[in-house]
Amino acid sequence: MSDRVRHIFVITLVTALVLVSLLVCVGIPGVVKAEKTRLGLDLKGGVELVYEARTTSGKPVNSTQLNDAINIMRTRSNTLGVSGVIITAYGGNQISVSLPDVQNTARAEKVVGVTGQLFFYDWENSVIGADGKIAGPNAPTVTCGNSGGTFAACGISYYDAVIRGAKQPEHSYPVMSNPAPSFYYVDDKTKTVYAPNGPEPTKAFLDADILQHHIRLPSGTRLVEVKQGTVLIAATSAPEVVVPNDYYVLRDDAVLTGSDISNPQSTTDPTQGPVVSFGFKGNGASVFQRITGILAARGHANSIAGATPNLQHFAVTLDGQLVVVPSINFQQYPTGIPSGNGSEISGGFTFATANQLANVLASGALPVKLHEISSRLVSATLGHQALNQGLIAGLVGLALVALFLLVFYRVLGVIAVSALAIYALYFYALIKLIPVTLTLPGIAGLILTIGVAADANVVIFERVKEESRAGRSPLNAITAGYRRGFSAIVDANVVTFMAAFILFILSQSDVQGFALTLGMGVLVSLFTAVAATRAILGTLGRTRVIRAPSALGVTKGRRRWTFDFMGRSRWFFSLSGTILLVGAIAIGARGVNFGIDFVSGTQIQVALKRTATVGEIQSAISSLHLKSQGQSIGVPVVQGTGTTAKGSKKTDSFQISTKTLPSAEIGSLGSSVKTLYGMLDHRWGIVPNSFNQNSVGPSFGRTVADSAAVAIIASLLAIAAYIALRFQWKYAVPVMIALMHDLLITAGVYALTGRQVTASTVAALLTILGYSMYDTIIVFDRVRENVAKMQNAAFSQIVNRSMSEVLTRSLATSLCTLLPILALLFFGGSTLKDFAFALLVGVASGAYSSIFIASPVLTHWKEREPVYRRRRARIAAEYGGMVPAYATAGAAAREVDPVPRRKPRRGLTDAVRPDGTIAAGEFRELVQGLHADAPPRRASEPAAGPVVPEPARVEPVRDPTADALPEDVVMPDDRSAQRARGASKSRNRRRGRPR
Amino acid sequence: MGMLAWVIMGLALWHYTIWLPDRFWGGIVGAFLASIAGAIVTGVLISTAAHGTAIPGRHATHLATVLYAVPGALLGMALIYAIGATRERTASAEL
Repeated sequence: MSDRVRHIFVITLVTALVLVSLLVCVGIPGVVKAEKTRLGLDLKGGVELVYEARTTSGKPVNSTQLNDAINIMRTRSNTLGVSGVIITAYGGNQISVSLPDVQNTARAEKVVGVTGQLFFYDWENSVIGADGKIAGPNAPTVTCGNSGGTFAACGISYYDAVIRGAKQPEHSYPVMSNPAPSFYYVDDKTKTVYAPNGPEPTKAFLDADILQHHIRLPSGTRLVEVKQGTVLIAATSAPEVVVPNDYYVLRDDAVLTGSDISNPQSTTDPTQGPVVSFGFKGNGASVFQRITGILAARGHANSIAGATPNLQHFAVTLDGQLVVVPSINFQQYPTGIPSGNGSEISGGFTFATANQLANVLASGALPVKLHEISSRLVSATLGHQALNQGLIAGLVGLALVALFLLVFYRVLGVIAVSALAIYALYFYALIKLIPVTLTLPGIAGLILTIGVAADANVVIFERVKEESRAGRSPLNAITAGYRRGFSAIVDANVVTFMAAFILFILSQSDVQGFALTLGMGVLVSLFTAVAATRAILGTLGRTRVIRAPSALGVTKGRRRWTFDFMGRSRWFFSLSGTILLVGAIAIGARGVNFGIDFVSGTQIQVALKRTATVGEIQSAISSLHLKSQGQSIGVPVVQGTGTTAKGSKKTDSFQISTKTLPSAEIGSLGSSVKTLYGMLDHRWGIVPNSFNQNSVGPSFGRTVADSAAVAIIASLLAIAAYIALRFQWKYAVPVMIALMHDLLITAGVYALTGRQVTASTVAALLTILGYSMYDTIIVFDRVRENVAKMQNAAFSQIVNRSMSEVLTRSLATSLCTLLPILALLFFGGSTLKDFAFALLVGVASGAYSSIFIASPVLTHWKEREPVYRRRRARIAAEYGGMVPAYATAGAAAREVDPVPRRKPRRGLTDAVRPDGTIAAGEFRELVQGLHADAPPRRASEPAAGPVVPEPARVEPVRDPTADALPEDVVMPDDRSAQRARGASKSRNRRRGRPR
Repeated sequence: MGMLAWVIMGLALWHYTIWLPDRFWGGIVGAFLASIAGAIVTGVLISTAAHGTAIPGRHATHLATVLYAVPGALLGMALIYAIGATRERTASAEL
């Protein structure tokens, strides 16, 4: 296929894809409907809950249990009446639930996150009294008599229940709610029980809970085990109280379970009160009738005629909490309640709670126990505001990059801007088609890829300009520019893609969104910025549009950088060292301000109708003395986030953060948060739908931190391996050092400025990894090229030359990336601003380290190699002891063109062969060139002339006058691909004869 | 957090080796590894001796903690320099 045909094919493909993308994005009114964009919670508003799953037996959760749980939770979430629910598993034992448009966290938790294990007990025959014996029908002080334990009228404290339960021996029954022991820590002095996530089946689990919740156990605290066969059931003292405050100790001998019932429904009884009706499966009905028959008979037997009947009860428990304890009227049902048509649970329900219970029962019990470790409530108003800010930042970023490209590259700039527009259209269509859930970090990734897409164009255009300056015609300059710039772009994009991929695999949901858009963006930009622009330019190159070099942005009298980069690297090294020293001292003195993503806590964002100062809000909150589970929630940190009038300290939006938060509060609008909400609304008025709440438990914070560390290490290893393969292992080490430099400088700057490190910062750090490498690879690619060309120059001269050639490009690409980042910083919302700050520091540091850290380290290391040492010595001798910064004269200035411009030929004297060896003639030239670098000969060794190797195979050189091997001076490069292409061509073509 | 501080300090000090003649064993990369390793080793040793904790956490990292890395980084680089210089002298003598 000729170039012309190929270009036409690519342009046709690009046009067709543009039309399809337009169809997807805009549609045709009345004919084709445009696809909807799926927005994430942070843009749309809603609730996100993250749970950690554990088995009741203490064994690790397996994937089947996790998948079953997800399916059940998905069924339950359907009852919330919202679409776009996303439930995903990650980390082997965590489940994330995203519920768009839901604004009631507590309701969502009750529907989705409850385990849903329902059990029926014979109440009087199960409750254990203070003497450790079953209460029986005549112990109303234990069983509450006819009240039947409802609302804990006769319950005991948590501590007493644990102590009473611990005295019971181990038992096994046919149906048990908890077929495992339960462990608690108790403090006998204060009669306090420590089990932050409820009882655990092993001591290790309980210890982990204590550690995660930063609970310091008082001295004298002891471990208590309630053996299998005894269960503690929580009850509430009033229907409106959520947290149980009384307990009963029961023999865990259940008579029926939730799996024995069918078709549970929320309905009404004859008095129009809410009830939950259900049928029975299998022999459930007969068991129910038998048990109620026993209860009726027992009630009848223990009642005295004329006195109040001694009614017996059965208890219904859900997830270890008493739901209802109905009595059996032995006069009405002397032989038990016939259940052929099902039964019902009534009493203590509201319509909403009856509905919730019916839904939970209908979906079945979860096979695992869930601990909520994080919850986030995003108001729809703030979500839309964030979306608008993100879009504005994106548009401004795109406009700035377009302006820069137009000014700097003229006609080429127009093509690059067109490619950017096409890129944006493709990307938007892909987001709609896949569909990708667009989140705020995702928008950040998208904006960053604008810079990456422009970078690819800059790399190639600078190359095209170089070729044009070298005297090539515009068309030839375009062809050569793309050919020579392509390998650098592929390497750089592969590395960025690898970073995005690793991030996607190892990170949490929000960061995953960012990684997905970054990865997609890299792929799409490779197509639009390389393939599409090449086809357009290739076609335009034959027209009058690009006839003069000035159309390519090539100006006469171009100045070349003559700065001694390697010579002055000492000063830049010292500068970096000083910045790092300051950073280290800042970390020691000030520490790093970790956000709640890492340290747990609650963060509330709220917009007020009337303005207030930070101090007013702070003192108002302090006066509330907020507590939870008896512990102070600490002094909340208040920050003003709204606009402030000039000369005034008052603002209308605030962020309130608490560092510690007891587990019971996580995710729900607990009593402390309710109190806070009420106070703010009363004094200043809360703007409707402006209350955002984000609660993170300790284990979630640890997961975020661990996954970030793993993602960074994995990225470093993968990228090092790639560079070692594509370049040489010695090139990988300076890249790693430069990366470390960038990441640690960013950490130091964060410590110095006191900015908060959030999950978004982690995404930014990984982007820095990718970008820093992108820049370094472009520089190293040119070093690799010049190493092969400048076979008599010192390595520092080669690097200086490479630097002077790529510095303009490096500055241009850095600017292209920094422009969208600056747009994010100035126009993005608070989340995007945090993200942009890390990127700004990292990208600036990345551009700097590519030139002033990675390259000098490579130079110092390579110059220790014998061949470069000899070259340096020879040049120093030639110039009176000093090595010039640039190889501009003498033998060092002699260049060879290592890349044959002719098509590969097959034959014994072929210059480049598929096996990587070189031709005899070229080798002879090379060795002669190396004579100047030869080490001093030993007197004992005979002089020898240049070795001429066998034509068919290049043997290692044994010549003591030139002991360098060809690979000492010629780097492996990407020509293997060209060779492969040459090898695949037809025999006639390779021989150069017309077909 | 203590580990992060020590690594940054080791890296910071390594930057100044650029002013010394390149006689490090393994060159500038050898000096880099020695500086980081030395910083971590003395950081852990001094921290363990002073506070009984090998790696201080977020709240236990102070300005003094950062300085624990200094002797290790300097000693590590000095050791590598001495080895490198000795090997260089030996190699010159053999020629």
